[in-house]
Amino acid sequence: MVRGARLSVKASPQQDFAPAARTFRFSQAMNTAHAHAPVAWPPDAQYGAATPGKIGMWIFLVSDAFSFGGLLIAQGILRSRSPEWVQPGEPALNIPFTAALTFLLISSSFTNVMAWSAAATGRRRAAATLLAVTALGGLLFLAGQAFEWTTLVHEGLVFGRSPRASTFYVITGFHGLHVLVGVAYILTVLGQYSRGRATAHHVELLGLYWCFVDFVWIFVFSLVYLMP
Amino acid sequence: MIVFGVLGVLTLVEFGVARTTGVARPAIVLALVALALSKAALIALFYMHLRFETRILRLTVLAPLVAPAIYGLVLIAESAARAAR
Repeated sequence: MVRGARLSVKASPQQDFAPAARTFRFSQAMNTAHAHAPVAWPPDAQYGAATPGKIGMWIFLVSDAFSFGGLLIAQGILRSRSPEWVQPGEPALNIPFTAALTFLLISSSFTNVMAWSAAATGRRRAAATLLAVTALGGLLFLAGQAFEWTTLVHEGLVFGRSPRASTFYVITGFHGLHVLVGVAYILTVLGQYSRGRATAHHVELLGLYWCFVDFVWIFVFSLVYLMP
Repeated sequence: MIVFGVLGVLTLVEFGVARTTGVARPAIVLALVALALSKAALIALFYMHLRFETRILRLTVLAPLVAPAIYGLVLIAESAARAAR
């Protein structure tokens, strides 16, 4: 573990994030070109040990939740206004298959949480393996969704032909995009982590994003698929 | 591991509720929304560790989410009422 270099910082006026008298402990890695271990921020009166990275991720996720909220509200309004939501000739959604996809996503959240705790306790190989399994779960989910879409288009649920079809593809597509970005994010962190350039903190932030993808799917599954 | 099990069971319950027939539609809608909210709460509190964060961070995250919920309820109810007229 790189010893922190004790550094006394004169807080500039606009950066009054801590009393000037208090010293900050910067890890020496901060000065090297690429590897930078998390800065040991002093516990904050409001946010405790939550790092700026974590608070930033949370604020991003809340704003992203608004995006999904807007789409789901739009679907709810369209649906409450149309007496016939399922148009004649349109197929029903494959609920058992989607329930299996839901369980797959819950399982990949679980492996992600396991990776996170393995990384936090220094079990690097286990953490890397679990991250890979999590990415695989995401890829399987995307494959399942691609299969579902092609089947539905084949059976007559075509984007643009009805509010139901359009909202279905926009909402599940927007979520699928998040899963795709999530898989890329996992593989990136996995690569960095395997080379010792990402730390448990990076795995933690990734974990927040990936669990958020599952968090959103719970509402998509209930409101888009299951709603009678 | 317990949270994982509970999430799995709740998903099965949701699946069963959605397939129930002969029950008033509003009751099914209410049950599905309640199940979704409880699963989401489990994920946020335990998988995303909100439970171990400070009260202020929890407030920072959860308080803004109340707005779209209220907004959605009002708009959808209003739209449904107008359509029923």
